[in-house]
Amino acid sequence: MPILALDTATLVSSVALATKDTLLGELTLETKKNHSEQLMPNIEQLLERAGSAKHEIDAVAVSIGPGSFTGLRIGLATAKALAYAWQVPLIGVPTLTAMAFGCPVPGAVLAPTLDAQKGNLYVGLYRGQGDKVIPIREPKVLSCAAAIAELESLAQPVVVMGEAVKLYKSQLAASLHLVIAGPHLVMPRAANIALIGLNMLEQGLTHDPMTLAPMYIRRSEAEELWEKRQGCCK
Amino acid sequence: MPLILGLETSCDETSAAIVADGRTILSNIISSQIDVHQKFGGVVPEIASRKHIENVIPVVDEALKTAGVNITDIDAIGVTYGPGLVGALLVGVAAAKSLAFATDKKLIGVNHLEGHIFANFLAHQHLEPPFVALVVSGGHTSLVYQKSYNEFELLGQTRDDAAGEAFDKIARVMQLPYPGGPFIDRLATEGNEDAISFPRAKTGDNYEFSFSGLKSAVLNYLNSAKQKSETVNNADVAASFQKAVVDVLVDKTIKAARKCAVNKVVLAGGVAANSKLRAELTAACAKVDRELYYPSLTLCSDNAAMIAARAFYKHQVGDWTDLRLNALPSLKLGEKKYFAEKR
Ligand SMILES: [Zn+2]
Repeated sequence: MPILALDTATLVSSVALATKDTLLGELTLETKKNHSEQLMPNIEQLLERAGSAKHEIDAVAVSIGPGSFTGLRIGLATAKALAYAWQVPLIGVPTLTAMAFGCPVPGAVLAPTLDAQKGNLYVGLYRGQGDKVIPIREPKVLSCAAAIAELESLAQPVVVMGEAVKLYKSQLAASLHLVIAGPHLVMPRAANIALIGLNMLEQGLTHDPMTLAPMYIRRSEAEELWEKRQGCCK
Repeated sequence: MPLILGLETSCDETSAAIVADGRTILSNIISSQIDVHQKFGGVVPEIASRKHIENVIPVVDEALKTAGVNITDIDAIGVTYGPGLVGALLVGVAAAKSLAFATDKKLIGVNHLEGHIFANFLAHQHLEPPFVALVVSGGHTSLVYQKSYNEFELLGQTRDDAAGEAFDKIARVMQLPYPGGPFIDRLATEGNEDAISFPRAKTGDNYEFSFSGLKSAVLNYLNSAKQKSETVNNADVAASFQKAVVDVLVDKTIKAARKCAVNKVVLAGGVAANSKLRAELTAACAKVDRELYYPSLTLCSDNAAMIAARAFYKHQVGDWTDLRLNALPSLKLGEKKYFAEKR
């Protein structure tokens, strides 16, 4: 009874197939090619190589963000349509939670990051507990400097993963308090989405393909500008 | 009786439809975002994309339910992959590919402009090519010679602004609500179209258009009146501007119909709803003994039934695409290209 999982929140295109205790397969590519042309062929390939037929898929999980707005929508449109057509449960998994889940260092604070553009980062804080990760606070958008300051203020050692590791390498390396995770741990991977998805499914935490939307955190620029303008006119 | 599921998300309407035999609409569900974009005075691409991802599955579901068909009964899925807003197109393309893969259906990439022309096959059951088509909308102004169901020749298009774009811009300056086209149309009926002489773009002896000069002339007229604190008769401005646009469109369309030696002319796209354009083109066609066809108001605006109709004729000749189908925001009419990357 496998679950099919997708993650297209970043430049990484990742698809995975897993059951409760086995990762049956994962195809993860960071090639800077666009998700639109890659995602469906990768799903088709993964099923074929794993020897799984479409009708055997029991659930679909998808990385819901934060991340690239366009990447998230490609992932969600694909996942929602699959779950709708196959009439199987759909599970939306927060991207930062899934990244922390992939790097469970005991005793440390897990700090997954994603690019929020213009020198900003989406930052989550988690701690591992058994086979789960528990959020310490809600994901936030912070400037790179503010993010590093927050991480340095924490008492426990901090493991940093995600896009900040590449984007702000020198700034992070300057801090002795921060541990930078390896390249295979810093990328969002669909295997994490699949396994969290199975946990959520077991707890009955599923979403409706009619309504599931990305977790953008940030509003569109047009809305932010519009509200600013309204504010100054009052 | 092939059944096609059509999907359209190229701009600000999320739409899904079921069409039988390329001619009969079983359902045509359109979720419009006009009210969402109104306060911004135009379509905001990021907001449009956000609405599409919310609406895409509900419109598909409603289209199937309204038509009373199961997704397994469908023969092929047609989706708009260009031209349009890239982020908006990507939502429809991803959903269509996924539905096609999940249910083992053929996938057909549809050019949005071709779709507009095919709205006429839904409106006129006996219409057949060859004909000359004028496609006018907020994003496009093109003259097309359609030789058969699957052969198109682009005769010419606009060098700058689309006709609908000029309508929207002028409406905004005159503080009419968005989208401005229908409001200018209505206002123009109360004005004198010969009151102000706006320039007709001289693009030479071809089938190209240009509306940026006209747009500037109207904006200058409004601005200079404002500076001199003169009162402007908005109805006269609307009527005179509209006349200038329609004159050029009608003139070149008739010229194209003569050159291509066809006896049918087809009007398509959002601006095909304009009453002045319909009236003038009807009169001009009658004068040169050509039959004019245009769709109903609903079928003029963006909708998935026209996409399904176009897809049907591609399906008939086996013109399917594989799961790499991408969104191509500047796709040209008649262009046979489905991917951004090289194979
Ligand atoms: Zn259109």
